[in-house]
Amino acid sequence: MTDGALLLQAAADSTRAYGEFPVIGARAFIWITAEVHLMFAAFVLGVPMFAVVTEAIGIFGGDERYDRLSKEFTRLLLVAYSATAIWGAMLVFGLSTLYPRFWAYLTAIFAPSMWAYAALFLVESFTLYLYYYGWDRWKKGRAKLGHWTLGILLNLWGTIVMFIANSWLTYMMSPPRDITPTTDPTTIKLWHAIANATWMPINVHRVIANVVFGGAIVGAYASYRFLAAQSDEERAHYDWMGYVGNFIAMSALIVLPFAGYWLGREIYQYDQSMGITMMGGFMSWLWVIQAFLIAVLFLTGNYYLWIGMGRIPGAERFRPYTKYLLIVLVLGAIVWGTPHTMIADSKELAAMGGSHHPFLGALGVMSAKNTAVNLMILTTFLSFLLYRRANTRPVVPWARGGTIIQGAMFALAAGVVLFYGIRGYFVEAIVRIGFSVYQVLAVLSCIVFVTVIDVLMARGAQSLGTIQWGKMPPRSQYALFILAVTFTWLMGLMGFARSGIRQYWHVWQVMQDTSKYAATPALGYASKMISLCVLIFLTLVAFVFWLGGLAEKSTFVASGERQGGGRHVGH
Amino acid sequence: MWATNLKVVGIVLGTLALYTLIANKIPQVQSEVPQTLTLGANVTPEQLVAAGEKVFNGIGGCPTCHGLGTRAPNLLTDEKGTGPIGARCGKREAGKSCKQYLYESLDNPTAFVVTGYQPIMPVMTRQLSPEQIWSVIAFLESQGGTVDVTGDDVAKAKQLTPGASPANSGGSPGGGAFAAGSTDPKAIIQAAGCLACHKLDGQGQVIAPDLTHVGARRDAESIRKKILDPASSIAKGYEKLAGIMPKAFGTMMSAAQLEALVQYLAGHK
Repeated sequence: MTDGALLLQAAADSTRAYGEFPVIGARAFIWITAEVHLMFAAFVLGVPMFAVVTEAIGIFGGDERYDRLSKEFTRLLLVAYSATAIWGAMLVFGLSTLYPRFWAYLTAIFAPSMWAYAALFLVESFTLYLYYYGWDRWKKGRAKLGHWTLGILLNLWGTIVMFIANSWLTYMMSPPRDITPTTDPTTIKLWHAIANATWMPINVHRVIANVVFGGAIVGAYASYRFLAAQSDEERAHYDWMGYVGNFIAMSALIVLPFAGYWLGREIYQYDQSMGITMMGGFMSWLWVIQAFLIAVLFLTGNYYLWIGMGRIPGAERFRPYTKYLLIVLVLGAIVWGTPHTMIADSKELAAMGGSHHPFLGALGVMSAKNTAVNLMILTTFLSFLLYRRANTRPVVPWARGGTIIQGAMFALAAGVVLFYGIRGYFVEAIVRIGFSVYQVLAVLSCIVFVTVIDVLMARGAQSLGTIQWGKMPPRSQYALFILAVTFTWLMGLMGFARSGIRQYWHVWQVMQDTSKYAATPALGYASKMISLCVLIFLTLVAFVFWLGGLAEKSTFVASGERQGGGRHVGH
Repeated sequence: MWATNLKVVGIVLGTLALYTLIANKIPQVQSEVPQTLTLGANVTPEQLVAAGEKVFNGIGGCPTCHGLGTRAPNLLTDEKGTGPIGARCGKREAGKSCKQYLYESLDNPTAFVVTGYQPIMPVMTRQLSPEQIWSVIAFLESQGGTVDVTGDDVAKAKQLTPGASPANSGGSPGGGAFAAGSTDPKAIIQAAGCLACHKLDGQGQVIAPDLTHVGARRDAESIRKKILDPASSIAKGYEKLAGIMPKAFGTMMSAAQLEALVQYLAGHK
C-alpha cells in the first residue's frame, strides 16, 4: 500500500464513516438538499439558454419583445443563483458531516476539479451581474452584440460547471474498470476518473433536459401572470410568453428520449447487471410511472396547442384532425406504459401464466415501445406544424407539391418506424437495438426536412388573420402548470433511477454503503421524497418570482407607454 | 386573485398527490443489502424456503436470466407443460433426484444443459455459501415439488468446503482445495468452468473470446491481470459481456495454480 493510501486509511479509521441528521435521517437530508440544489441548478442553467436565444431573436429579428422577455428572466436568475449556492452549500456540509468517509474518498480524487468548480461559479456569477446590470447600458449596435456575448459566456461557464459536477456523480455510477476497492484514490488520475463511461451521455442528457426545464418554468411563470393580468394587453403579452416557453420545452423534449437511449446503452455496455437492475430488476415499475408522466407531458403539451388554435383565425381547417392525433397519442402512451419484465412472485407469475403477459407482453418489448414513442413524437411535431400554419395560406407556386412532399415525408418516417418496429420481433436483441437508430434517424430527418420546406413555403404567405393573443381560456394556462410540475417531478424520478441503480454502493463495486440507509428504498417512499422536493422547489421559485415582481415591474409595456413596439402578432 | 392563487396551489398539490398515489399503489420493491445467512442443524424446510427465496431474488441474481424466459428456462412457471421447476426437476436427468439435479445445476451447470439454451450459467457454488446454495435448492423444490433439503445437507456441504465463506458473495472453497490442488492447467480449466464461455483447442463455447490463440494477443502478465481482475480489459466486440466473467478466481486458486494456468494460456500462440 502506498503512503497516500496508508494516510487515507489512517484518516478513515480515525474518523467515523457516517453521521446522523435529526428527525428525517442522513439519507433524507442529502436527498432533499441534492435534489433541490439540482432543480435550482437546472433552472439557472436552463433559463440563461432560454434568455440568450430569445435575446438573439430580438437582436437579429428586430423584435424588441424578445429582448424584454430575455431581460425579465435574467432578473429572476439573480435570486435563483443565490438559492442554488445556498442549497449547494447545504449539500456539501451535509456530505462532509453525514458521509465523511465517502466525502474524503471523493475529494481525494476530485479536489482539483472542485477548486475549478468553485472558481468558475464565481466567474459565472459575475458574468451574470454584468449581463443583467449592463442590459440597458449596452443596448445598441456593437455594444449589444458584446452584451449578447456575455450571455453566451454565461452559458459556457454554467455548462462547464455542470460538466464538472456531472463527473463526480457519474464516477459514482461507472468508475473506470481498473479501479477496485483496494485502489488508493490518491493514485487515480483526475481525467481518468472524469472521463468515465456515463459522463458524456449524462452531460448531453442534462443540457437538453435543462432547456426543457427552463422552458417549462418560463411557461408556468407566464401562465400565472396571464391569470393575474389586469388588462387584455397584459394578458396577450403573457399568453405569448407562455407559448414561447412551451414551444421551447416541447421542442427540446422531442430530442430528449434519444439522449436517454444513449445513456441507457452506455449503462448496459458498462455493466450489464446494472442495466438489467435498471430495466428489468427492482426498478422495472419505475418505467411504468415514467411512461405515465411522459404521456401526461405529450398529451398536455398537445392539448395546450390545440386550445391555442382557437385564437388563430384559419385554424378551424385543422381542428377535425386533432381527434386522430389524440388517438395516436393515447395508443402510443398505452403501449409505452405496458410493462415487460418485472420482478413478480411465484403466485403472480402463475396467475399471469408466465413471466410475460400472453398478449400485453408483446407490447412491452422495446420494439413496440420505440415505435410508440417515435410515432408520438411525429404526432406532436404534426401538431406544431398545424399550429404554425394555422393562420397562413402559402402562395408560392409549388405550395401544393410542397405539402404533398411533406405528407409523403411523414408517411415515409412513420413507415420506417413501423417497419423496424415489426421487424424487431424477428431478430436478435443486438440487431434490434440497432433498429432504434434507424427509427430515430427517420423521425429526425422528417422533422428537419419538413421544417425546411415549411419555412420556404411560408415566404410571402397570405395571412388569414392576426393571432388573438390573450384569447385563451384559463384551462390552457393550468395546463402549463401541470407541464411544469410534471417536468420537475420527472426530473426527480429520473434522478432516483440514476442514483438508485447503484443500490448499496456509494461508488459502484468500489466503495460499499455500510450505513443503515444502504438499502435502496421502494418507489413509494421515493415518490414521497420527490414530491416533497418538488414542493420545496416550486414554493421557493414562487417566492423568487414574487421577489422579482417586487424589485421591478414586469417587462410588459402597455400600449400607451410603448415606443415603437409592435402588437403581438405572428409566432 | 385569491381564487386564482388557490386554484394554482390546488393544481400543483393535486398533480403531486396523483403521482405520489400512483407510485404508492404499484408493487413496492426495496433493494436490500445482501445479508449473511447462517442456518443451524435444526433448520426447518419453511426456513430454508424463505431464505432461498431471498437469495434467489437477491444476491443470487437468478431472475436476471431465469425470469426472462429467453436466456434461461423460467424456473417459477410452467415450461412446455412440465410444470414449474419443483415439478420437473426430478425428471430432467435419468437417475438423479430433484435435489441431486438442482445441486448439479448450481455446482456444475455445464453437465446438463436444457435443449435450446446456451451454457452461460456460472458455477454458483463458487459465488454462494453452502447455506445459500441449499436454501435456493429448497426454494426451487418448493415450486411445485416437495422440499427434502435438511440441515444435514447444509452441514455436510460445509464440512466438504471448510474454506467456504458465509459472506454475502465471493464465497470460495479456499485456494489449495481448488481443482483438488492440482497444478495441471487442464484440470484447473475444467474446475474453473472456463469452457462454459470460452473455446480452447476446439472445445468449449464461443460466448466469450476464443482462447486458442490467446498467447498471440496477450502476454503472460496481461493474462494474469485479466484472470485476477476480469474488468481490467474487455476484448473488442465483447463489451456487452463486461461483468459476466467471475471475479473470484484470484481467491480460489493457489499462486502455483494461477501461474500454471497463465503460462499454459500464454503458450497458446
